[in-house]
Amino acid sequence: MMDTARLLLEFSALTGVSGAENEAAEYAAGLLKQYGPVTVTPLGSVLCAARPAREGRPHLLLDAHIDEIGMIVTYIEDTGFLRVAPCGGIDRRLLLASRVTVHTDSGAIAGIICSTPPHLSGEEDKKNKKVEEIYIDIGYDGEAAREKVHPGDRVTINAHSRQLLGGLVSGKAIDDRAGCVALLLALGELGDTELDCGLTVQFSTMEEVGGAGAKTAAYLIKPTHAIAVDVGFGMTPDSPKEKCGELKKGPMIGFAPILSREMSAELAELCRMEEIPWQPDVMGRSTSTNADSIAVVGGGVVTGLLSIPQKYMHTPIETVAVEDVENTGKLLAAYAKSLGRGTE
Amino acid sequence: MMDIFETMKSLCRLPGVSGWEGPVREEILSRLQGKCECRVDALGNILAFKKGKTAPKNKLLFSAHMDEVGFIITYIEDSGLLRFAGVGGIDSRVVLGKAVEVGEKGLYGVIGSKAVHLQEEKERSEPGKLDKLYIDIGAESREQALEQVQPGDRAVFCADYGSLGDKLIFGRALDDRAGCALLLEMIERELPYDCHFSFTVQEETGCTGGITAGYAVAPDIAVAVETTTASDIAGVDPDKVVCSLGKGPVVSFMDKGTVYDPQLYRLALDTARDRGIPCQTKQGVFGGNESRSLQTARGGARAMAVSVPCRYLHSPAGVVSSEDITHTGELLAALAEVLADL
Repeated sequence: MMDTARLLLEFSALTGVSGAENEAAEYAAGLLKQYGPVTVTPLGSVLCAARPAREGRPHLLLDAHIDEIGMIVTYIEDTGFLRVAPCGGIDRRLLLASRVTVHTDSGAIAGIICSTPPHLSGEEDKKNKKVEEIYIDIGYDGEAAREKVHPGDRVTINAHSRQLLGGLVSGKAIDDRAGCVALLLALGELGDTELDCGLTVQFSTMEEVGGAGAKTAAYLIKPTHAIAVDVGFGMTPDSPKEKCGELKKGPMIGFAPILSREMSAELAELCRMEEIPWQPDVMGRSTSTNADSIAVVGGGVVTGLLSIPQKYMHTPIETVAVEDVENTGKLLAAYAKSLGRGTE
Repeated sequence: MMDIFETMKSLCRLPGVSGWEGPVREEILSRLQGKCECRVDALGNILAFKKGKTAPKNKLLFSAHMDEVGFIITYIEDSGLLRFAGVGGIDSRVVLGKAVEVGEKGLYGVIGSKAVHLQEEKERSEPGKLDKLYIDIGAESREQALEQVQPGDRAVFCADYGSLGDKLIFGRALDDRAGCALLLEMIERELPYDCHFSFTVQEETGCTGGITAGYAVAPDIAVAVETTTASDIAGVDPDKVVCSLGKGPVVSFMDKGTVYDPQLYRLALDTARDRGIPCQTKQGVFGGNESRSLQTARGGARAMAVSVPCRYLHSPAGVVSSEDITHTGELLAALAEVLADL
């Protein structure tokens, strides 16, 4: 198997803005098929039945979302400049002068988000523009632009994805391809090990715009247990400490009303037994992850949440530690091995 | 024959923040080798001289600056994060969320802050100040960072270079590597008259290189070959556009640093018209360039600025028109002829 950092860089370089995840989803399907039958749901989520579900036995669902934040073209000006709306929670502070790619039916088109030069900066320009207020320059006049680009086309901010010092990886869409990679690592770690539970992995679509992919996929899978794997806030000097985990200190185990207390405790206990570092991630309300929707699918699912600490969430420089991704994979494999053990 | 677009591309890829222009200077020197006389002065300017067919009546100097805006590392935190200051006119709104390359080895770093989810509304709408930001290279301590970086090291945006639409080109540091490439093209060609050329340092931090280059060359006529702000973008009123891509080189009558020689200004426009080269006037008194240094060197020189219109100056991706580059080259060639005998 490819080295984790390389896999993560390669996977996150692929495009998959919410609702148009095809490129990333096809790549995922290719990686998953060695672990079991792969299917795609009507909403595009990619499922892999790694161990068949059996009547009366626990069935574990592991979820990570494959979509990424981006923008969607709403209008093409007569001058050829594009107007856009956000697809997910774009950080408006970093838009200006960003290089972007417009993903059209006939291929990728280079673009740049217009920044008004300083001599024009009036009071209004001193505020960060909203996504709906920016223009994208693609270098074509109105007629050519309308021929090439269509409203509904997705736009991504370009990244210069690379490894940092100290085993960190930085780029776009690490949220949540890091989670996807952790799931792949778990499958690799499990290998041919016989499990006492069914196991299905889902790479779900549309998490960044409300979670429709995970909710509907989980409905089809009907699991008894589920773990959502996402990224969590990594500590930076300006962040509130109580809401952040630290990079290189292991997966963040979620504790929240919607999450199963028992499963959270079991995950922590497995970390102790397997000597995997971990840290708590405590939320008083919803988790704002797929765990919220999976837990209430059908008659309810015992659900847990693992978050990989990530700095600079929702930017083209999302940063995680490779070892945290690997430890998350190990913990997931350990949980899958423990579920239903000795109860048959 | 050199391809100016290939030259411009290779120059734009090199880091050359003011005061640290070494990589750009080396590249230009290697391209000048055997083509003209040249030397490097105490500040790092390249001063070049190429003989033409005839000695001119007026001593001519064409100048373009090698340096670009960027960052300088000011302090390394105990946590290993790097504090920095802007070098030249960096717009604080274009910095956050960008990747950078630090130092001559091009160490990768990112400029981030807390996640959008954790920001108050006010934080989302107010641009951050540069002195609140930091570069994260992944180091876990000051010691680890110091193995790779020293205060005083420069950093530039990671940037790529390519085509936008059919006719436009984007790249970092087009300001003023476009000008450097145009001078290299002039030197490559046979010149009607002797010409001096300077590839200067530290334009972005006060037109410093132009001071000593102007002194050393002591020209009668100095032409700054630059890029200038084009605001021909959506949402800008016509009176604020300044100049537009695709309408040819821009000639200035005045900017914030220089009042240009009115006769030369008109001569440039007339020359362009006579030879069928598209050309435009810089409409508005904005910005400035090293003309102000060249104009006031020694007893003074008559100054002129010929610029390539460029969108998004001083950002990770400026945009110029390939046609404008070609037309600017044509106008410069014509001016080398008409200015000499004025």
